[in-house]
Amino acid sequence: MAIDYSKEVRQERVKQRMVYESGNEMAAYAAHQIDYHIMGYFPISPSTEVAQHLDLMKTEGKHGIRLVPSDGEHSSAGICYGASTGGGRVFNATSAQGYLYMLEQMPVQSGTRFPMVLNLVCRSVSGPLNIHGDHSDLYFALNTGWPILMCRDPQAVYDMNLMALKLAEDPEVRLPVMVAYDGYFTSHQKRRVQTFEDRADVMAFVGEKSPEGFANALDRENPITIGPYMNEPDYMNNRYQMSQAMYRAEAVFERISAEYTELTGREYPVLDQYRMDDAEVAVFVMNSASESIKDVVDELRAKGIKAGSIAPNLIRPFPQRQIAEALKHVRAITVGDRADSCGAHGGNMLNEVKAALFTHGNRDIQVMGRVYGLGGKEFRAEDGRHFFDLAIEAAARNEVAVPFDFYGHTPGDPLQSPKRLLKPLNFDDLKTGLITVTPNPETGKLAVKIPPLRSLTKKPKRLAPGHGACPGCGIFSGLELFFKGIEGDIVTLFHTGCAMVTTTGYPHSSHKATYLHNLFQNGAATLSGLVEMFWERKRRGEFEAFGLQEDFTFVMVTGDGGMDIGMGPAIGAALRGHRMIIVEYDNEGYMNTGAQLSYSTPLGHRTSTSGVGQAQQGKSFHHKDTAQIMAATNIPYVFTGSEAYPQDLVKKAAKAHWYAQNVGLVYGKILIACPLNWLSPDDQGANIVDAAVSSNFFPLYEVEQGITTITYNPEEKNKKVPVTDWLKRMGKTRHLLKPENEAALQDFEREVELRWNRLKAKHEHPDL
Amino acid sequence: MTVLPEVNQLGFFEIRLESIGGLGANLAGKMLAEAGIVGAGVDGVSFSSYGSEKKGSPVKAHIRFCEFGTPIRDTSPIEHPHVIGIFHEALLASGAASGIRPGGMILVNSAHSAQRIIEQSDVRGCTVAVLDATRIAMEEKNKVNMAMLGGLFRLCGFLDPAFMKDVIAKSLGKKYPQAVEQAIRVFERGYAEIQTMESLAPAAEESAAAAAPESPFGYLNQPLGGVVVTPGSSLLKDLSISRSGMLPAFDPATCIHCAQCDTACPDLCFVWEEQPDKRGRMQMFLQGIDYQYCKGCLKCVEACPTDSLSRMLEEEGYAAANRVKQRFDFVEA
Repeated sequence: MAIDYSKEVRQERVKQRMVYESGNEMAAYAAHQIDYHIMGYFPISPSTEVAQHLDLMKTEGKHGIRLVPSDGEHSSAGICYGASTGGGRVFNATSAQGYLYMLEQMPVQSGTRFPMVLNLVCRSVSGPLNIHGDHSDLYFALNTGWPILMCRDPQAVYDMNLMALKLAEDPEVRLPVMVAYDGYFTSHQKRRVQTFEDRADVMAFVGEKSPEGFANALDRENPITIGPYMNEPDYMNNRYQMSQAMYRAEAVFERISAEYTELTGREYPVLDQYRMDDAEVAVFVMNSASESIKDVVDELRAKGIKAGSIAPNLIRPFPQRQIAEALKHVRAITVGDRADSCGAHGGNMLNEVKAALFTHGNRDIQVMGRVYGLGGKEFRAEDGRHFFDLAIEAAARNEVAVPFDFYGHTPGDPLQSPKRLLKPLNFDDLKTGLITVTPNPETGKLAVKIPPLRSLTKKPKRLAPGHGACPGCGIFSGLELFFKGIEGDIVTLFHTGCAMVTTTGYPHSSHKATYLHNLFQNGAATLSGLVEMFWERKRRGEFEAFGLQEDFTFVMVTGDGGMDIGMGPAIGAALRGHRMIIVEYDNEGYMNTGAQLSYSTPLGHRTSTSGVGQAQQGKSFHHKDTAQIMAATNIPYVFTGSEAYPQDLVKKAAKAHWYAQNVGLVYGKILIACPLNWLSPDDQGANIVDAAVSSNFFPLYEVEQGITTITYNPEEKNKKVPVTDWLKRMGKTRHLLKPENEAALQDFEREVELRWNRLKAKHEHPDL
Repeated sequence: MTVLPEVNQLGFFEIRLESIGGLGANLAGKMLAEAGIVGAGVDGVSFSSYGSEKKGSPVKAHIRFCEFGTPIRDTSPIEHPHVIGIFHEALLASGAASGIRPGGMILVNSAHSAQRIIEQSDVRGCTVAVLDATRIAMEEKNKVNMAMLGGLFRLCGFLDPAFMKDVIAKSLGKKYPQAVEQAIRVFERGYAEIQTMESLAPAAEESAAAAAPESPFGYLNQPLGGVVVTPGSSLLKDLSISRSGMLPAFDPATCIHCAQCDTACPDLCFVWEEQPDKRGRMQMFLQGIDYQYCKGCLKCVEACPTDSLSRMLEEEGYAAANRVKQRFDFVEA
């Protein structure tokens, strides 16, 4: 490689090596060099790549980190916490709702004083859902008792990750540490980054092992009790200890950072100051924007304006003294917050900068704040110029015109309003009468009659075309087929996932009837609340004026990911028996976030977190049998279905409709194709799921009032195919057909056979 | 020592790739950036625009090259590039060429001549290059991105094609050695087969950047809580750009109206009408396909039990001429 190192590297003591990588890659790269013991993770954009890169490196045998795919961020935080009590090193990465979902665990970890490193890849928080970069999630971290290191570019992500562990484990600190960098702006931006060439140098810096002398849960000779119940004043004292440790972290960071400069030549003062020596006007912004603003400072300096910028490299502890010191001779400053602290008359940074100035006796400077760049809105040079213009004006007038405001919001045209485009669906069109469901008191089962599919094309589709799913996506063919079996009105709730994202990109919606979204751990609870509100308002006669002809059928739509993270609330809703349907489209992975493994991913399948290579061969454990888990809640109706068997699915939908209207909760799983991530041709979806059914991997059956019936038995129809006939059709599984994977294939075939035989026994015996 | 041909005020030579998900622009951008930064020894930065978007939706890749010592600070998308690579011709209509610097270069994946591109789109004061990357990809059973990459290397003379071939060999060689030769051939064809023409019309004073249109619904009138009060409005979208060359053709003569296609279609494209059958009974009859929504997955062709639906290489104007519009129950204006 034609790289002139002398131009890039200053005086240094360790050998360095240039890589060209993104922020996420650098977080993973640092973690692999440290060779943490444990990472318990859960996919969420834009942080997911960190686990993916680590999986990829693991596949190539480059590190020994035990990567634990959790069932949600709350669990991932639990895995990390538990692991950290065990005396080893622990790493994680998350974003946005993922962080908020683990928030409860954060003070548990800091309050019981177990170090670890968590990368927060900063992103806006829901709702409405937005996956882009801002600091809304970060501001929730300010009160958790975790020191927070800030990274303005991929180089800083690498450097801070090395320093973070050392800071966390320092005997003076002993707190878990967060490393925060900007989602997409930094996480997905590729830059030239200098790294330690030798892992030995990394370990010499961070220490081969955690410092000795701290109790852990795996020391047989020193049993301890972690996390007691504690009253005041003991709790107060615990918190005081934590507070002291946090403030000590500043000096410890300065010590570590100085050591790091010695080794690498790169400097990380507590407060990054740019051309501040004689600055009269300044801007404070954090992370990626704090780099962009420097171009504006240069531009203003060239015009003779004494401009400068400051940005903290750590915000917990907050560098109060350094900020006050840096602003001593500055006449006006604009503080940009990339998140609001709604109702506080300023973002958190504005108010903390003001507090710093007040505390240190600087009452003369003009300070104003702007909330900017929310939801990934760019921070361009012109925005930086505006921030300086505000400061220049305030300095000239010696007063601030508007102390706090948003910047970058747009008024719209008040004369316009969004106009309804389509009439509400005609009830009579939806209530075709073509489908009949009759309870048979003798069998206790429902008798269903459906017309040919051709007749059902008369029924309006529940979705409008124009959704943004990939070509050949199986979700919408599967869902529309299911909806064909439901007569009358529906109200749907979609979990976060492909079906949600592709149908509701604002200001558009592909849903013709009322739809709501909630984050995918909580849809079942949310819809159960709406269901109960419906029945309660109906009982009180509040719908009589609306001419409601028949009760709504409430349908929750989830992916298999939503049945991992949302399993608890789904079981809760099932046990409570709300009259609603949960229908799962199972595409065997977290496809919306980039094809990570879900618990429904079968053994050996390749995903972005179960790679195929010398050290591992796809997913290491068997697929989750969600239908059987839900059947064990003794709900009235459970089914599986596929678009490859349309009549079967429409009949099941009709039964689901009846049970959800009259009895209680219904759960159904539809196997659907994902050509993009199954690495299969766009036109083959139906054939592939057909092969999944015919190989007995995905049997079509129902559990009605506790009695199991196989509704399509490929053996009886002489249509049974070997599992390999299904696997050979997808790029994600072709490696399983190679001789070196024969053992895994046999293991998988045995599992399929075992589950099929058990199902047949249930089919044959009504008591099973 | 590589010398960049031209840089902007901040010292960057900028490239923007405009594509739709699935054509491999993201990977092409990555390879192009690495060829500069690792191969040619310049400094720089690259990133893609990401959304929660899927295959078939617009994506952009951005690459900034600079000399060593140039501070790299700007993380915002490239508005005034020196080179634009357009992976799908239809993107020209939605402003893919916007912001090109006077004297810049635009490479378009198109079967048309550079002259026609210049005439039909408002591209001024720059060089337009065309490359029929889709045809090359089909002929070589490879991806559009390798051909486009070849064309882009030709336009960026400071990059070394030999380095790129080496990258291709290394990245594919481990897993798919047989694919290396093919990919390199596609790259070379892309390099060789571009045709260029200068747009002589004077450049616009300040070539318009692709400014995001400001929504008429702002904080004064956006419905509370982000509620969408226009359900079904995605029907206004045109998804035909998602097709990558093929579409289903419908022959009513052999249709038995079994609705297998309707069941298979992910995009709700099939249009039905109730009519009396030969015996006078009302029945549903398939009328045709609404190509506005068809992404060309061809699941319907696979599902069709007769020859009524067949796969067809999309010819210009076919979809518009043969489209049967979905009927929607609109609120009267």
